[in-house]
Amino acid sequence: MGRSPQTGGPKTIMTTTTTNLILPAEWRDFWALTKPRVMSLVVFTALCGLLAAPGHIHPVIGFTAILCIALGAGASGALNQYYESDIDAKMVRTAKRPLPDGRMERISALQFGLGLAAFSVGIMGVAVNWLSAGILAFSIFFYAVVYTIWLKRNTPQNIVIGGAAGAFPPVIGWAAVTGDVTLIPVLLFTIIFLWTPPHFWALALFMKTDYAAAGVPMLPVVSGQKTTRNQILLYSFPMAAAAIAPFALGQTSWLYGATAIALNAIFLSLAFAVWRNTAERAEDMKPEKRLFAYSILYLFLLFAMFAFDRMLMP
Amino acid sequence: MTEPEQRPYTIEESRIVRERQAARSKVMAVILVGLCILFFTITLVKIGLM
Repeated sequence: MGRSPQTGGPKTIMTTTTTNLILPAEWRDFWALTKPRVMSLVVFTALCGLLAAPGHIHPVIGFTAILCIALGAGASGALNQYYESDIDAKMVRTAKRPLPDGRMERISALQFGLGLAAFSVGIMGVAVNWLSAGILAFSIFFYAVVYTIWLKRNTPQNIVIGGAAGAFPPVIGWAAVTGDVTLIPVLLFTIIFLWTPPHFWALALFMKTDYAAAGVPMLPVVSGQKTTRNQILLYSFPMAAAAIAPFALGQTSWLYGATAIALNAIFLSLAFAVWRNTAERAEDMKPEKRLFAYSILYLFLLFAMFAFDRMLMP
Repeated sequence: MTEPEQRPYTIEESRIVRERQAARSKVMAVILVGLCILFFTITLVKIGLM
């Protein structure tokens, strides 16, 4: 894959040189705009929603639906980076992205994001169905406008409400197959919606100085670490309830039920360890780092088992 | 807002620009071929030939 766009390489020349000479961006920089790692989780949860849905979808149409969801997520990432390049430049974690690093013009990111959004929604509507295309369009709007422009810089509840944007993919996957939205995709939405605050606040605790430097009002910056740890634990309980609900409501077998109970027991124990921790320095925040890493694995395993269980059901 | 100053590329910059343009063109070609195949296949599915 050549050099990493995040790290640069020996042959890297900035898009904007010291004399403001504009050089064309590399294709890898456009790829980096789509936030590939975030996209992988989006694609996975969408695929699980699609596989768990009752009914049949032609593999080609199913592939197209997943491709459109991936492109829509990429569009959201590009539009987010277009608007947030000033914040990204102030944070160590994001300073090497194409825009803050000067490898690309902002207008290119905007055009790329808008083009990708229109393309993904249009193809989804024509090839799959317009309900899934509508939800995809709304999720892009929600992430790029509601979360990025309205919420992120203005309220510590930014990722609580903004988390809805990341919760749409399984609903879109489901709607691609069935053409409607019922209780189960709403439950899948709820699981991701309630999972997002503990996941991001665990990260925000040990990246607090980064967010503070950038002026982003994340909960640990505004309300302190104690409140954030309380909130992580508080959100973990309804999240666990939502995760077990499909089994409790008879929508899955014991296979998913047992897995969900085990995964949530671990999640709650890690959230409890975070709640008990009083460390203020990032180096001493092992429970927070552990919870953040586990939360990603948790979502992958939970959704994989959900899809697997539903596919086994008669 | 002032436009960035545009001076002629140096030899080294010209080489980098050509390399980047060539790489982008190749990626675009692969994407376009992939989309052609995808749209053709979708059409076959939609008209019931697959």
